[in-house]
Amino acid sequence: MVTNVLMPRLSLTMKEGTVVQWFKKEGEKVEKGEPVVEVLSEKVTYEVEAPASGVLRKILAEEGMDVPVAETLGIITAPDEKLPEVAEVTGERIIASPAAKRLAREHDIDLAQIRGTGPEGRIVEEDVQRILRELEVVPRVREVIPLTGIRKTAAERVSASAKRAPHSTITMEVDMSDTARLREKLQVSYTDVLVKAVAKALREHAIINSTLEKDAIRIFADVNIGVAVATDRGLIVPVIRDADKKSIEEISSSLRELVDRAKQGNLSKEELTGGTFTITNLGMYGVDEFTPIINPPETAILGVGRVVERPVVKDKEIVVKPVMKLSLSFDHRVVDGAPAAEFLREVKTYLEEPSSLLR
Amino acid sequence: MRKITYRDALREALREEMAKDNNIFIIGEDVGRYWKGAFKVTKGLAEEFGDKRVRDTPISESAIVGVAAGAAITGMRPVAEIMFGDLSTLAMDQIANQAAKLRYMFGGQTSVPMVIRMPFGAGVNIAAHHSQSLEAWFMHTPGLKIAMPSTPYDAKGLLKTAIRDDNPVMFFEHKLLYPIEGPVPEEEYTVPFGVADVKRDGKDVTLVATLYMVHKALAAAERLTKQGVDLEVIDPRTLIPLDKKTLINSVKKTGRVVIVTEDCKTGGASAEIAAIVAEEALDYLDAPIKRVAEPDTPIPFSPPLEQFVLPDEERIIKAVKEIM
Repeated sequence: MVTNVLMPRLSLTMKEGTVVQWFKKEGEKVEKGEPVVEVLSEKVTYEVEAPASGVLRKILAEEGMDVPVAETLGIITAPDEKLPEVAEVTGERIIASPAAKRLAREHDIDLAQIRGTGPEGRIVEEDVQRILRELEVVPRVREVIPLTGIRKTAAERVSASAKRAPHSTITMEVDMSDTARLREKLQVSYTDVLVKAVAKALREHAIINSTLEKDAIRIFADVNIGVAVATDRGLIVPVIRDADKKSIEEISSSLRELVDRAKQGNLSKEELTGGTFTITNLGMYGVDEFTPIINPPETAILGVGRVVERPVVKDKEIVVKPVMKLSLSFDHRVVDGAPAAEFLREVKTYLEEPSSLLR
Repeated sequence: MRKITYRDALREALREEMAKDNNIFIIGEDVGRYWKGAFKVTKGLAEEFGDKRVRDTPISESAIVGVAAGAAITGMRPVAEIMFGDLSTLAMDQIANQAAKLRYMFGGQTSVPMVIRMPFGAGVNIAAHHSQSLEAWFMHTPGLKIAMPSTPYDAKGLLKTAIRDDNPVMFFEHKLLYPIEGPVPEEEYTVPFGVADVKRDGKDVTLVATLYMVHKALAAAERLTKQGVDLEVIDPRTLIPLDKKTLINSVKKTGRVVIVTEDCKTGGASAEIAAIVAEEALDYLDAPIKRVAEPDTPIPFSPPLEQFVLPDEERIIKAVKEIM
């Protein structure tokens, strides 16, 4: 029986190894399992064991030769067996054009994996280029949705805002214990209370309730709060006019109505425009905090996280409190960090002491 | 631009150069006022420049070329005509051992500014002694230049360059080209040696063709375009010197080359061009180099057999398809 001693693969990336030394001479007896030849890959030397017992009939790879992985190094036969005339050549010759070979070489592509489309199955340059194109990590597209309607408007507005207004976002954690109680008592939502708190704070920090037009900051007289609402058709921002002059209950009922009609797609143009500040709440989705993009032409937007019970330190003791994070993105061209922070702290104070909102 | 024949374009080149330089003279069999050249290229020149500058000779190609070479080293600029290029064999010693080597043998003390005009090529049913294409012989002789105009424009421009060149130039004309017409400007121009003409831009296959075969190649390219194969056709215009750059750049672009020459395939001009491509652009070849040439046979007298051996559009198209 003829058994080939092969160049082993010593690592995943190994392509060829070097024959270091043969432990046996041609014609010498070998036992299965004993080392016959030492090979070297990039990093390690390795003793190749005889795959069969018999006689090392022929050494094909002399010491010092570089041999590709899985090529035959030597041949073991039975003691009285003659060697076949021609050693077996494994693998078929790959027919590829020189141009295909060059391109494959340049990109480290194995020609054996390529199906040739040239005459008589020759691998031509285009075949390699086809593989290269396939290898490019371009995800396949399942469907194409034209950019229209609300999506298109939203895309244009957020990119315009992100481009034009240098955004800065600051975050504060709010203890919602008292607001939670008030909410229970009034049967309103957190958003309703938030709208009121923000509207009241905007009265005192008017610079936030503004817009930048060319060379002038225009401070609005009205406080109209937009509330971002996710609908099947996309994000819609109905506006609660004069929110600072409305009670929480009034805000609650008008907001409920606006949201209902927003979901039905029944809002008038007036109900969707004229906002001076926007609140966007992702708390119901479990979001803690995020960096909202200002709704142009306004100056700031408040991102609202979820209300969640957490251990907080109060009077040097760890207590569990419902807390919420507020993220204020503001147009840094209009205000600096300090006034923005003062506004946000005002909102925080109102929420932590919501009795002031009832007056 | 006006259109004139290849024949008239050659005559214009001769007339204009002779008018400018009294050292230029024409020498050959029946080139003078009585026969005006076998293909009437020299018609009217004897009348215009006199019999001394348009000299009829006895039937001795060896004498024609020998006289020309001798005159050239004395400072004259002879334009010899051999009635049929096939008969250059009779002048071969004068061409290959004298004209081609004199400059070298005298260590550059002299130059050999001469032109040998010769009609070559088959297709007019005049058999093996009058139909050959022998460019390979001259390519194999260092010291010679070889011009092969395929159009009236190139005929005039290359002949002027040949006459002004200080080395012997084998000027190949093709019998079937004399009557063809093409645009030739009236104002002065020359066509430099060693600058190929890209007759047609293409991306799929490079067709290199010389002399009359340029027209066959263009016709084949036209037909293949309709089948979606975009061929680039290159006319080297001079084989020595050869514009390797244009050739190699084209092969790099297309990856495929078919060489079309009318001479015999074995040891032919196409063999040299193929070897250059293999040597200098192997890694860009996407298919074997193909040659369309005459089989290794004398040109038959029989018209059907003659047509059978000559490279034609069908064979060019077949060769292109074999490598696509």
